[in-house]
Amino acid sequence: MHAKYAKISERGKGTAGFFTPFRVFRAHKANKRLIIGALSVGAFYLVAIFADFLAPYDYREQSRREPSAPASIPRFRDAEGSLHLNPFIYESRLSDPLTRRYTEDSSQAFFLDFFVKGHSYRLVGVFRTDRHLFGLRDYSTSGSPRIHLLGTDTLGRDRFSRLLQAIRFSLVVSPLGALAACAIGIFLGLISGYVGRMADTILMGAADAMISLPTLIVILAARAAFPLELPPLTAAFLLVMIFALTGWAEMSRLTRGLVLEMREREFVLAARASGVTETRILFRHILPNISRQLFAQAALILPLFLLAEVSLSFLGVGLQEPEPSLGNILTAAADMSQLQSQPFLLLTPAIVIFLFALGIRLLGDGLKNDRFDLARR
Amino acid sequence: MLKIVARKLIQGLMMILIVSFLTFALLSAAGGDAFSSLRENPQVSAKTVENLRRVYGLERPFAVRYASWLGNVLAGNLGESFQFHLPVSTLIWPRFLNTLLLGVVALVIACGVALILGILSARFRGRMLSGFIAGLILLTASTPRMVLALVALALSVQFSAVTINTATDSVTSIMLAAIALAAPLISILLAQTHEGLGQAMREDFIQMARAKGLGEWTVIFRHALRSALNPVLTIFGLSLGALLGGSVIVETILNRPGIGALMVTAVRSRDIPLVMGVVLVASAAVWLGNTVGEILQMVNDKRLRP
Repeated sequence: MHAKYAKISERGKGTAGFFTPFRVFRAHKANKRLIIGALSVGAFYLVAIFADFLAPYDYREQSRREPSAPASIPRFRDAEGSLHLNPFIYESRLSDPLTRRYTEDSSQAFFLDFFVKGHSYRLVGVFRTDRHLFGLRDYSTSGSPRIHLLGTDTLGRDRFSRLLQAIRFSLVVSPLGALAACAIGIFLGLISGYVGRMADTILMGAADAMISLPTLIVILAARAAFPLELPPLTAAFLLVMIFALTGWAEMSRLTRGLVLEMREREFVLAARASGVTETRILFRHILPNISRQLFAQAALILPLFLLAEVSLSFLGVGLQEPEPSLGNILTAAADMSQLQSQPFLLLTPAIVIFLFALGIRLLGDGLKNDRFDLARR
Repeated sequence: MLKIVARKLIQGLMMILIVSFLTFALLSAAGGDAFSSLRENPQVSAKTVENLRRVYGLERPFAVRYASWLGNVLAGNLGESFQFHLPVSTLIWPRFLNTLLLGVVALVIACGVALILGILSARFRGRMLSGFIAGLILLTASTPRMVLALVALALSVQFSAVTINTATDSVTSIMLAAIALAAPLISILLAQTHEGLGQAMREDFIQMARAKGLGEWTVIFRHALRSALNPVLTIFGLSLGALLGGSVIVETILNRPGIGALMVTAVRSRDIPLVMGVVLVASAAVWLGNTVGEILQMVNDKRLRP
């Protein structure tokens, strides 16, 4: 399959193969944006895959003893000033339930361990295990504290574990939506650019209308059609569908433009002259040659889908509690009294969104500006 | 000119018609409405729900309902909100003005930053400035409105816990919201002006203008800018939609009564007349923005005029 694409590409002058984006690393070490972007996006996906392993607790587990607890800080130096190699925490106890004030008890140190036993889960969805990357050493007393790197929310759930689970949901649903939207967009763009005439007029008219409409308002209107509270899987499926139906327009416009440019090229004429069918020309000759630009565009519009998902969940019409998404965790940050007491802890999901969007942006820019092509190699 | 405006008017009406039809169809097709949640309430009998639906005409077939909605809209009546029991137009109008104010301020900020930095970089072509612009484009492109709005909220809560609640119309709160709204727009506009002006400065007619003995500022303003401005105006026209979409999040977070926040309320209560009203107003506003953008392009570029 691979060799075939390469052959076709060599026939056309200055064109790229279908798998080019994946081979860029070898060919173009100088492209810093691409590398930084790919690394950070890759890191995010590793976190998403191993979220259960990295999280010390179950994201649904509530602890009534410690609502809105502050972050437990791993320390190396104890109250007497002596250093320890193994990091430890001090227990924070709720001293005033009304104002949710916590006091730190520095009389006993609780040491951290790696690969500790915790709740059981399926690693990568397959292997059943109960090991977690880190946690507190098992003191097997009922009153032993828990470690909350980002504190707990109002129900006493570990924010760090919830954040990891949220990254998993948001990073799966939005690319799926983007993928579906791109598939529809590329298909319609191919038809519009290659068939032309009536199909072109109608499709591009629709695409223009779609692009100019306020996307989030359209998405919200589409969301209003369905019941407010949905089980998580249904909600995820619905979000993907809505994104696919509202997000195809930009992709189809770009595809159409590229197809229009390609269909006059020599290798298409040559293919046509040698009797290749039109569908085959479109999907086997033109599509592989425009794939790099399409990949770049897909990378650039992905953050929009992530944001749409985050926005919907934030507004309470996306994924719903107790399942965490970057959006519905941030809902707490819009509560001013909470925001005043713990601004940084509450804004961590926002920082995650920013970093992921930055990584994707760098990746997309890198793909777009990458001058690598097979013909020149 | 008149012909073009007439053509745009027809296009706009077609678009609004199609969008409203699709929204209406979707809202009716999925089943359930503003009163379906009442069925789960043990204190409300099934008969009451049926009566409520009859009062609001929800039991009629889809085509009849759409036709009557459309007829009412043509007569200038957007219907009555299920939730607030008020005419939809009285709910939308003051909020629309609020959003308009916010959007205009955001547009001025975005265009101002983009044009000033773009022109400066064309005039002084420094590496520092170029680097700064590239950084700003990257930063604004990857900072979502939501993140900015939340940071703005955190800042205003830290520094003045009261102002954001009481004085919603204070200049600071509008500016904070407008900056949050403008950020993604800055990246698009700045990238366009930076690149477009840079390209224009390498054209032959610029050399010609310089050879005539014009000053560098005159060359930029009278020759380079005019040729680089058209794509910027296209984006300007399209940005109204993006601003309206962005206002949903910014207004909800920063607690500003606008059309975006109203849309959220409408969706949460599945208030169909209100949803339809907001969609109608939003698409009309977007159409107006596009038309204005296109007319500005014609003013700028004689070749586009018929």
